[in-house]
Amino acid sequence: MTVADHLIIAPIIIPLVAGGIMLLLDGRRREAVAAIGIFATLAQLAVAIALLVTSAKEDPASMVRVYLLGDWPASFGIVLVADRLAALMLLLTATLGCAALLFSLASWHREGSYFHPLFQFLLMGLNGAFLTGDLFNLFVFFEVLLAASYGLALHGSGRARVSASLHYIVINLVASSLFLIGVSLIYGTAGTLNMAALAERIAMLDPTDRRLFEIGAAVLGVAFLVKAGAWPLGFWLPGLYGAASAPVAAVFGIMTKVGFYAILRLGSLTAGAAGGTSIFFGEGWLFAIGAATIGFAAIGMLASQDMGRLAGYNVLASSGTLLAAIGFGGTAMTSAALFYLVSSTLTVAAFFLLVELLERGRSVADDVLAVTLEAYGSEEATDAEEEEEVGVAIPAIIAALGVAFLACALLISGLPPLSGFLAKFAILNSVLGEHQLARAGIVSVHGWILLFAILVSSLATIIAVTRAGIRTFWTFTDRELPAVRRVELGAVALLIMLCVALTVQAGPVMRFMQATANGLDLSRAYVGAVQGRPHSTPHAAERKP
Amino acid sequence: MELVISVTIGFLAASGLWLLLRPRTFQVIIGLSLLSYAVNLFIFAMGRLRIGAPPVLDPSVAPSLASYADPLPQALVLTAIVIGFAMTALFLVVLLAGRGLSGSDHVDGVERGP
Amino acid sequence: MAAGIALMVLLIAAHFSGSIALGSAPRVELAWMPQIGLNFILRLDGFAWSFVVLVSAIGLLVILYARYYLSPDDPVPRFYSFLLGFMGAMLGIVVSGHLLLIVFFWELTSLYSFLLISYWNQSQNARDGARITLMVTSMGGLCLLAGMLLLGHIVGSYDLDVVLRSGAIVITHPLYLPTLLLIAVGVLTKSAQFPFHFWLPRAMAAPTPVSAYLHSAAMVKAGVFLLARLWPVMAGNDYWFWIFTTLGVTTLLFGAFMALFQQDLKGLLAYSTMSHLGLITLLLGLGSPLAAVAAIFHIMNHATFKASLFMAAGIIDHEAGTRDIRRLGGLVHAMPVTAALAMVAAAAMAGVPLLNGFLSKEMFFAETIESHVTSVLDDALPYLATLAGVFSVAYSLRLIHQVFFGPPASDLPRVPHDPVVWMLLPVGILVLICVLVGVAPQATVGGFLGIATRGVLGDATPQYSLVVWHGFTPALWMSLIAVVGGIISYAALQTYLSGNVEGPPILRRLKGQRIFERAVAVVSWRGAKSLVQSLSSTRLQPQIALLLCVTLLAAAWPLGKGWVDFRVPRPHEVDVSFLFVWIVGCVCAVAAAYQAKFHRLAAVILMGGAGLSTCLTFAWASAPDLALTQLLVEIVTTVLLLLGLRWLPKRWEEANRPLDPATAARRVRDFAIAGVGGAGLAALAYAVMTRPLANSISANFLEKSYTQGGGRNVVNVILVDFRGFDTLGEITVLGTVAITVFALLRRFRPARDSVTLPEQKDFQDRFDAEHIGASQEQVSAHYMIVPGLIMRLLFPVVAMMAAFLLLRGHDLPGGGFVAGLTLAIAFILQYIAGGARWVEARLTVRPVRWIGFGLLAAAGTGIGAAFFGRPFLSSAFRYVDLPILGRLPVASALLFDLGVFALVLGATVLVLIALAHQSLRISRVAGKPVPSSEGST
Repeated sequence: MTVADHLIIAPIIIPLVAGGIMLLLDGRRREAVAAIGIFATLAQLAVAIALLVTSAKEDPASMVRVYLLGDWPASFGIVLVADRLAALMLLLTATLGCAALLFSLASWHREGSYFHPLFQFLLMGLNGAFLTGDLFNLFVFFEVLLAASYGLALHGSGRARVSASLHYIVINLVASSLFLIGVSLIYGTAGTLNMAALAERIAMLDPTDRRLFEIGAAVLGVAFLVKAGAWPLGFWLPGLYGAASAPVAAVFGIMTKVGFYAILRLGSLTAGAAGGTSIFFGEGWLFAIGAATIGFAAIGMLASQDMGRLAGYNVLASSGTLLAAIGFGGTAMTSAALFYLVSSTLTVAAFFLLVELLERGRSVADDVLAVTLEAYGSEEATDAEEEEEVGVAIPAIIAALGVAFLACALLISGLPPLSGFLAKFAILNSVLGEHQLARAGIVSVHGWILLFAILVSSLATIIAVTRAGIRTFWTFTDRELPAVRRVELGAVALLIMLCVALTVQAGPVMRFMQATANGLDLSRAYVGAVQGRPHSTPHAAERKP
Repeated sequence: MELVISVTIGFLAASGLWLLLRPRTFQVIIGLSLLSYAVNLFIFAMGRLRIGAPPVLDPSVAPSLASYADPLPQALVLTAIVIGFAMTALFLVVLLAGRGLSGSDHVDGVERGP
Repeated sequence: MAAGIALMVLLIAAHFSGSIALGSAPRVELAWMPQIGLNFILRLDGFAWSFVVLVSAIGLLVILYARYYLSPDDPVPRFYSFLLGFMGAMLGIVVSGHLLLIVFFWELTSLYSFLLISYWNQSQNARDGARITLMVTSMGGLCLLAGMLLLGHIVGSYDLDVVLRSGAIVITHPLYLPTLLLIAVGVLTKSAQFPFHFWLPRAMAAPTPVSAYLHSAAMVKAGVFLLARLWPVMAGNDYWFWIFTTLGVTTLLFGAFMALFQQDLKGLLAYSTMSHLGLITLLLGLGSPLAAVAAIFHIMNHATFKASLFMAAGIIDHEAGTRDIRRLGGLVHAMPVTAALAMVAAAAMAGVPLLNGFLSKEMFFAETIESHVTSVLDDALPYLATLAGVFSVAYSLRLIHQVFFGPPASDLPRVPHDPVVWMLLPVGILVLICVLVGVAPQATVGGFLGIATRGVLGDATPQYSLVVWHGFTPALWMSLIAVVGGIISYAALQTYLSGNVEGPPILRRLKGQRIFERAVAVVSWRGAKSLVQSLSSTRLQPQIALLLCVTLLAAAWPLGKGWVDFRVPRPHEVDVSFLFVWIVGCVCAVAAAYQAKFHRLAAVILMGGAGLSTCLTFAWASAPDLALTQLLVEIVTTVLLLLGLRWLPKRWEEANRPLDPATAARRVRDFAIAGVGGAGLAALAYAVMTRPLANSISANFLEKSYTQGGGRNVVNVILVDFRGFDTLGEITVLGTVAITVFALLRRFRPARDSVTLPEQKDFQDRFDAEHIGASQEQVSAHYMIVPGLIMRLLFPVVAMMAAFLLLRGHDLPGGGFVAGLTLAIAFILQYIAGGARWVEARLTVRPVRWIGFGLLAAAGTGIGAAFFGRPFLSSAFRYVDLPILGRLPVASALLFDLGVFALVLGATVLVLIALAHQSLRISRVAGKPVPSSEGST
């Protein structure tokens, strides 16, 4: 075992140890604790980058790397698997972590006790969920990140947070029981918990066992959908995200992606083995749910008064788009979806942070007022002749916030010139390009639905965001400026800059995404690597029936 | 025998679910506990029943599933129990806090109807 | 600076002119997202080139003009940066050689126009105008995006060159119509054609230089530009003809008509822009090459005279202080130069001979006479065109007459006079162009137009003659009729117009943008709200119900493919005593469910009953570890619940309160869900249990547990070794929850009604006070002395037992977790005995530290393996003989278990303390709420 091999487990160990040390310090010496937190997060970032670079290599040995915990063979031990997808998610997590932590340093981490340890445990849970190759271990890490998320959602206490968290907790406890039922059912029928082994065993199940297995998978799928906030299981999400403190909400942005990741991972694995069909109640349903989620989120965005909720609904929209995309199927679509995933996650995080800065010192009253003013129209709007026509100089801080907001607005509504547009285009392009029918010039019904849904939702986003932006920025003249720290703006800027980089470097990024999608498609590579068999080259995998 | 266990699981689950759907936080917490009993038993049942098997490895008995209870589900159940315990504690405190902040023990923090 | 940039663009364009004139089209290509056919292609053909010249030239003039128009204390940098951005975006549309790139810059123009229109964002007008503009145009933009995607999909490439070459494929393609419709919406919204026209007048709220630019060369021209751009690909189909001709002519008439009745100078110009764009759209819609030429020609002419007119209007507004035509008058004396320039420009707009407007107008008339598609519309076109001509003459005339002639205006805010020459210069240049082109077209604009048209039509460019005098063609007659008719109609309407009316007699009521706003408001706000309320719920119960129903459906789905066959149960004959245990268990569960609302204590006890029977099951089905753990967890949970009960509101069962139907229905529903769920789970369990478990991986555990794991207690070996990683996560969860609870309880505020002491305690205190007359402290010091003493003595014993459980865990039932819980229970006993204060006074190590230590110990054990070059959590073990305990396996796993032990102990104690402590705090500050600053340990 070289250090390089141990890197695979580092993303889990680093936050764990960091959290432990923080607890030993027990809340005292805030500076030390914060320093540890920053250091740990940066370390995770470095590790994630290293893993990504390794996995990006073309030689099959480094595409999928396996870590045998306790040195027990994968047949019955727990394994960690670092392939491209996992590495990608790790990098995303670490990046968000850095930004949110940076932001929280300004004020939030002092709001309540134990912010930093909880934060580290959340990262640990996320990383573990992305890395593990064992179904029950996945459950454990889900619980880790959920427990931490409960703590963080409650961070700062207050009535809104507590009551939102209460719903969140109950729903997720039920979801966890479902998870357990599903996992144990799968074990009870297939006799193993190792994902790769499962993928192989499905084929050999006799009909009844197969059916029971599918029931288990379906129950499991529901649990994942709850995490992903899919309609009609995601009503708790906007409230919770809106109420949670900004940095927490920013990191939560990726928690919905965990559900999506699980579906994608297990789906692709089993699909590879079980003749093309995902075990999660078939693509058709997934697509329908995704589309419904998009629609619901669009309406929700229009209907939401404060920007926090708006951002929450936007999270729903993005996870709905992802689900629909996966449900739509096809390698090109998967890679487009991955691109979209990265872009949208960064964007929403930036937006959450920004919203908190903007909402400082605002009351709900002026929101309502602004909206009703628009809704019922203001007749005195016509006699603006008398107003003297001189532009008002804008305070620097507002200008900065304004630019940031503009960028976020463009990103989340998928308008040019930023990565949001590219992501949307990538998805739409594969909607049209994917099907065999395409040559005949016919676009499938699913294609039309997705096209329509995505366009309508971006229109809704534009309207909602414009409304919010107008009433936020053009009323700054008549209220005190928000007090904004430099680090906070820095965090937002960092995320937006990343999106810009994503835009400029779209080509290479997209190439990586396609490689990832291909890797997912030939799940035999994954299974083979985990089972420790000599790796079968892609072509060999293709040739096999 | 299996029948008895199954029926039991059914009863526990049913009463748990019923309580989950009630409006009072306390009812919900009891419901969650009952549900977790049901789930634990269910996981355990996934390893099939083995009655009167030696609890720990006995050198005289060949170590095979034929002669021992399936250990893996037990391990899973143990993990599940611990996590369930933690979650119960957490939820208890959250519901107390919610009750304290909102003054009501309704799951939505506000009394609705009767 | 800004002007410099514009000038530079112009020079670059000039530099290219030579090569362009020869019909070559230089292009630049950069890979962007080649995988999905998105490349950064710029191409500059004749048409694009001519537009570049147009856009940058007028941009330059506008910048020059704005420099003197804006008041000195304006934040000019912002304005110019927006303006330049706008110009850049426009140029981008023009030169981009990739369909998506066009959309890309298209949206950018919308964005910048939004920023520019809202430049004076303190005025409500500006905000609304900007918002509507953005909404309409971005809606169009999205449609355009879809359209372009389809177009590229049809052609098989997004490269404009390829697309332009493959017109034949496109027109015959099944997807032609949807593509056309989508693109049409995009184009029409952008250039303010009929159904989407209303944003344009609203956009007047922008500073005049912006309007001048937006109306002449930039924003609205983007639409017709794209129309002309795609003309060779998509024109020549009946759909094309119908859509654009119909809408074009409608807009032409409507705009001209509305313009006649505007009282605001800029409003008049805005509507006239609309009608002129309608004219261009109509020409392009006709689909004949000559019409296209006329359209392109008119685009240029319109740009020149409209820009100059707007600037003139701006000057008037600037100098006279108002734009209301009724208030203005006789300005010819006050500002002769401006008047002269404006009049020429207006004449050009009206299509008076010897001015550029006349030429393109005449071409237009000529084209309308030509028959293209035999239809009623086509026959009617000449008349409609003439009618429109009449209107346009009329409003131009009105503009000139009412503003510059007639009685000098008296009540003007400022004293009007000609502005500085720099402000007049741009107007002058433009007007000069108008005249030159009008007088000697071929000489001046011939070449330019030639390049432009060849850019669009290529070899199909028809012969056309650019001369003023074609002889007495019908077109000329139409022009004459228009002029005369215009004069007459204006004379007729003059009195009415000077009256105090806004807009035309009939259409005054109908305000497009108001309707639109209302619609948007209703749809996007009220409608959405109600829809969300109906589609979702913020309440918990419905969500849970929904979740369960979805689960049931999902679980039932696979059964659709076929039923699960139940085997006959293998002989495990029912054991009566066990059956009895479970009858009790089930009764407990159901009773708990029944009691939970009103008799919480009873419910807790009953729940314990159910838990105990679970625990018995485990014991009986040869799983001692589970039994042990379950039992201990049971105890601790119960204690927690009991501690919690005290903070819940009192509730008494109302004597047989009649159940209202809604509640009854809900209960029935819930009962059904619960019943089905339980039955389903039971069925699943039964189905699985009665089937043999095919090659489970557990066999490995049994085999390797002793030989390689070094433990006889397989379950424990799995927990700390085979699947130790799970345990690591599990204890992390426990620790996390503990600190969460702790953090939350620090801020704990009990509800009003539970702040007061429970009456039992109250009574006790009073009793003590009266009979013993001792203070609280002394009393609580010696209450329950005897049992307290026993429990204290018990503590070391229990601790020993915990240690024993911990150490032997590897071989016999037990282990870190159980041990931790045991010790925790010992602490609980101390609480019961000595009360919170007593224990906390003696609790030296803070539990949070234990948690930290536990985590580190467990993780450390795992990491240790790495130093031996083995993966995380690899274990090593050997046996050692200890005095009392006998032969023990000392596996590295033991260390791990120690970590577990510490953490479990810490976490449990922490939660208990935090919870138990509350009562102290409250009774200490009885009544008033607790300041949250106060820590709880």
